[in-house]
Amino acid sequence: MEEISLKAQSLFHIGSFTFTNGLLLTLVVSAILITFSFVLRSKIKMVPGKLQGAVEIGVESLLGLMESTLGTAKAAEKYFPLVATIFIFIMCSNLLGIFPGVGSLSFHETPLFRSPAADLNFTLAFAVISVIVTNIIGMASVGTFKHLGKYINFHGPIEFFIGILEAISEFAKIISLSFRLFGNVFAGEVLMTIISFLAPYFIPLPFMFLELFVGIIQAFIFSMITLVSISLHTATHGEEH
Amino acid sequence: MENELLFQLGIDWKLFLSQAVNFGILLLVLTFFVYKPVIKIIKERSAKIKEGLEKAEEADVRLKEVDVIGKEKIKEAEAESVNIIKNTEKKAKVLEQELQKKNEEKQLQMQKDAEAQLKKQLEENKKVVLAQAGELVRKTIIKTVELKPEQIDDALIKKAVKEAENG
Repeated sequence: MEEISLKAQSLFHIGSFTFTNGLLLTLVVSAILITFSFVLRSKIKMVPGKLQGAVEIGVESLLGLMESTLGTAKAAEKYFPLVATIFIFIMCSNLLGIFPGVGSLSFHETPLFRSPAADLNFTLAFAVISVIVTNIIGMASVGTFKHLGKYINFHGPIEFFIGILEAISEFAKIISLSFRLFGNVFAGEVLMTIISFLAPYFIPLPFMFLELFVGIIQAFIFSMITLVSISLHTATHGEEH
Repeated sequence: MENELLFQLGIDWKLFLSQAVNFGILLLVLTFFVYKPVIKIIKERSAKIKEGLEKAEEADVRLKEVDVIGKEKIKEAEAESVNIIKNTEKKAKVLEQELQKKNEEKQLQMQKDAEAQLKKQLEENKKVVLAQAGELVRKTIIKTVELKPEQIDDALIKKAVKEAENG
């Protein structure tokens, strides 16, 4: 059985920069998505083909979901890129992580690829981006002082402690978002490694389906938490209650 | 202790930053090459569909209006044609009466002319007859003067006997 490592393994070094197998798969996913973007852009027509039709269904579904959460189509359209990119990137990373061959290729006895979400740097980066961007959106939407007033409030002792709790909850959100995704994907990888070691044929199949499901669901959860966060930060005080 | 935990979890700020940059690049590429064009085309299509539906509705309304106008025009035309027919009939009757009157006058005139001509002819004939009768009387008188009275009596007796015999 291959060694189970909590952190992404180093493939090579560029100066002091450690190039890991998790980062490699991240770049592969990025390359695939960028190529797909260019192909799609060149094929966009008023009468859609199969590819454009499928993308349009996805875009319209997510826009509809965002509109129901944010209240307006304009807001949904404004914050669509962030939420959609988080969802697509995490989903593709998770799905590519369980792709046949991804786990079996190795480089100097180190697995060549590792599911990006099984590297805490990836999930932490997404969580930090999500929390920072949603706070920036909140500041731009309701005003910097009003937004920061949620965390630093001297109107009374209760408001002050609520402010502190709000600030802690934002920090906790980073940890919960990053560790939830990391935990699910890493646990899936460990499970698949153990199951494949114990029973290499047929038995891992239901677990692969489970991993597919978990991969999509976790991407959805991450993007929905970001969406709800945007919704909460852009809502005015009256709307919140 | 803290660094040890981060090391154990594999957290490296350079990797963290590279993942963040990677996400940023992907966000930009997807935004400008997928989301914006796709949303734009969806909006354009929706606008076209809306426009098409509105035009179809407008055409429907127009068609109904044209239908109503058409029916009104047909009614007007029917009424006008009935009027024209009535007027024509009236005019025809007037014309017929005028023609009849003219005919009668003409016939009357012709009759008068014919009568005048006939009268003239009769007078001319009468003149001729009178002239011939005068001549005949004159000749008869001459003949009568030339005949013997006995011969005239015998001839008259013979003629009477002959008529009596024939019964």
